[in-house]
Amino acid sequence: MSASATRARPPDLAAGGEPFLFGLGGALLAGLFMILGVLALILWNGAATFWPRPIERVELRSGHTLAGEPIRSERFRPAGSAAESRRTLYRVGNYDLYGDEFRWVDEAEIGRRDRPGDLVLIERLEWGVFIGRLVGAETAGRALDPADAEAFAAVHAEARRRWRGMRALERDAIAEVNRRIERERLDLRRLELRHGAGSAIVRAAADAAESRLVHWRAEHGRLSERLERLRSEDARDTARVVESGGREVALKLSAIVRFYPANALGPLGAIRVYLSRWAEFLSEEPREANTEGGVWPAIFGTLAMTVLLSLLVAPLGVMTALYLREYARQGRAVAAVRIAVNNLAGVPSIVYGVFGLGFFAYLAGGTIDALGFAESLPNPTFGTGGLLWASLTLAMLTVPVVIVATEEALASVPRSMREGSLACGASQWQTIRRIVLPRAMPGILTGLILAMARGAGEVAPLMLTGVVKLAPELPIDASFPYLHLERSFMHLGFHIFDVGFQSRNSEAAKPMVFVAALVLILLVAALNALAILIRARLAARFRGGQF
Amino acid sequence: MTAIPTFEPTLYHVKRGEQGTALDIAGFSLWYGPAARALHDVALAVEAGLVTALIGPSGCGKSTLLRSLNRMNDLIDGLRTEGRIRFQDQDIYHPDTDVIALRKRMGMVFQKPNPFPMSIFENVVYPLRIDGVRDKGRLAETAERALSGAALWDEVKDRLEDSALGLSGGQQQRLCIARAIAAEPDVLLMDEPCSALDPIATARIEELIDGLRGRYTIVMVTHNMQQAARVSDNTAFMYLGRLIEYGDTETVFTNPKRPRTTDYITGRFG
Ligand SMILES: Nc1ncnc2c1ncn2[C@@H]1O[C@H](COP(=O)(O)OP(=O)(O)OP(=O)(O)O)[C@@H](O)[C@H]1O
Ligand SMILES: [Mg+2]
Repeated sequence: MSASATRARPPDLAAGGEPFLFGLGGALLAGLFMILGVLALILWNGAATFWPRPIERVELRSGHTLAGEPIRSERFRPAGSAAESRRTLYRVGNYDLYGDEFRWVDEAEIGRRDRPGDLVLIERLEWGVFIGRLVGAETAGRALDPADAEAFAAVHAEARRRWRGMRALERDAIAEVNRRIERERLDLRRLELRHGAGSAIVRAAADAAESRLVHWRAEHGRLSERLERLRSEDARDTARVVESGGREVALKLSAIVRFYPANALGPLGAIRVYLSRWAEFLSEEPREANTEGGVWPAIFGTLAMTVLLSLLVAPLGVMTALYLREYARQGRAVAAVRIAVNNLAGVPSIVYGVFGLGFFAYLAGGTIDALGFAESLPNPTFGTGGLLWASLTLAMLTVPVVIVATEEALASVPRSMREGSLACGASQWQTIRRIVLPRAMPGILTGLILAMARGAGEVAPLMLTGVVKLAPELPIDASFPYLHLERSFMHLGFHIFDVGFQSRNSEAAKPMVFVAALVLILLVAALNALAILIRARLAARFRGGQF
Repeated sequence: MTAIPTFEPTLYHVKRGEQGTALDIAGFSLWYGPAARALHDVALAVEAGLVTALIGPSGCGKSTLLRSLNRMNDLIDGLRTEGRIRFQDQDIYHPDTDVIALRKRMGMVFQKPNPFPMSIFENVVYPLRIDGVRDKGRLAETAERALSGAALWDEVKDRLEDSALGLSGGQQQRLCIARAIAAEPDVLLMDEPCSALDPIATARIEELIDGLRGRYTIVMVTHNMQQAARVSDNTAFMYLGRLIEYGDTETVFTNPKRPRTTDYITGRFG
């Protein structure tokens, strides 16, 4: 290249555009770094939480002994001392004995520490973990050698099975009988409201109900008796454990969720514990104020709400956009509506929560209650937060996203294609249904995906409209009418908030925050992946080539 | 300031068809907005069964007039028309006119091919689909007849289920012609159907138009003088929204009666 053939390079850097380019690249890099940082932090902390840690036994210079999982170490300055020292946080468990699950130990006070193989970590239904040694066991009055690991494991498994049976009896069978009895009462109350108390119809109905109630009360008695029997049987399976200070405690076998010798666990055993903890986390209900156990109801609630939200927001948003773009006369009124819709997306979500509670739950729900569920008043049925109202509120919150995306997608369908269809004698609706909508479908789905992701990650409005810390029942179950839209539900986002910031034991809750966050991210990612897959399928049809 | 051009009344010397008049346009004016008049008092009778060419410089209102015939202009906000267009004893712009039924009797081919994003087969039978026809035999028969009519059958008969978007531009245009004649309309409206095509495809489409003569009333817009001279029976010359001369093609091209027509045809325009 000769200098005469090309123009001289501009002397000043800005004219070349390089600093600007560096700026652009830097912005991209910073954004990527933040996103990857968040993902890496959550992934690492969430994935590591359930890995079993070793247990250290620590003898202090004072002669006191303790055992626990070392959590982390830090430098600190002891009170009244000039020099810095190190201290380690141990999870010592045994909350029922010590009154605290975690303990800081000053390195300077430690005399000796080791990792004996006979220390076991026991996860209990109540009081958190127990750390100590297993010294004896009893089943049905006869002693059992805990050293015989196989026999002990078999008895433990049997006790757990019995416990699950007891829970099912209580939760399902007895609860169902209670529901029947309650329904009889409500039926009577409804008749009373309609015909007046003491009227002939009500008296006849009460007599008829009484005969059914006798049956249900007898059933209730029978089931309670069976439960009592199981309970007394259950109380006879116990394990005796000794904590590091020497105190002995008897534990019900059925209350032991999981136990393992932390220091004598091979890599395979560790993997087994790890997987079993994940399985419990994903499929069980929470325990201990949500800091232990699983998050299944929250996963289920999040999924149910997101699906319901999508079912509500899709027709609402798409139909609105269709009207705005295809039917409405483009003028000032439509422009105003469009601006309003765009601005709706910027309203703080808590405002929607307030609106959802006031309008949906109290006004709409209260009206439904007064008209259709008067017999259970003053207990609200629909007149309080619930799955339906929460989903509706989020549908309102996310509908602008769908409207804007659908309008864009409709606008991108070439005019020539609509004209071609109209010229064939198709009505406007036929043109929309056969030509415009299929062409716009990938774009519409993109909007739905964005709305879904936004809805699944939203927490603030849900706190007002139906999400609770602990829901006794899932919104879908085996009792008629199977789908209970009025029930309050649990949600992973709120669960994270609740566990992380509302629980008494923040040290124990911290890892659970990361695990729940990891599950929430994976759940949203899975939902998005599904929608993207569907969209890709649809988009492939319009790319030409083959059908 | 340029002088405002003056216009003499339209000059008529039309070749009459055997089947009478298909479309009778009388005193037709059209405004795209209060101050945007696109057609001035256009009056012409389209002979049934013949090919009528609309020629004129760009922006003179050829497409506007063509699209007025099947009321495609209805989609435009703020549009206003005056005068009337009669089609089979019915005023196209009467408020009671069923626009959908009207369009079903007038096939339209656009300047740029606009196949739908569906299979070739579905494209051709689209007019039947919207009428709710489900009979497989009838659909297949229609597809073959229309594609043969558009001289496309031999090229696509083995790939009817392929996407229409995979066809070449010329094939797409012939597919659009097939779609326009699939429902056997009475009138075929074509807006520069060959402007995007090479000479070979153009020749095929001209052949095709020649073959459709007599069965359909064809109105076509073209910028190609030779094409108009080759395929049309009557030619209408438009200028600045007005119809200047309307007569049989031979006379218009060999012996135009108006100086503006002469200028345009001989290329001395400006
Ligand atoms: N949708 C519209 N809105 C406003 N004005 C329009 C519209 N369509 C066409 N016009 C105007 O009407 C006049 C006639 O346009 P038309 O498209 O009929 O011209 P044409 O003869 O088909 O030109 P060409 O040969 O370039 O296709 C032009 O001045 C054009 O600017
Ligand atoms: Mg044109």
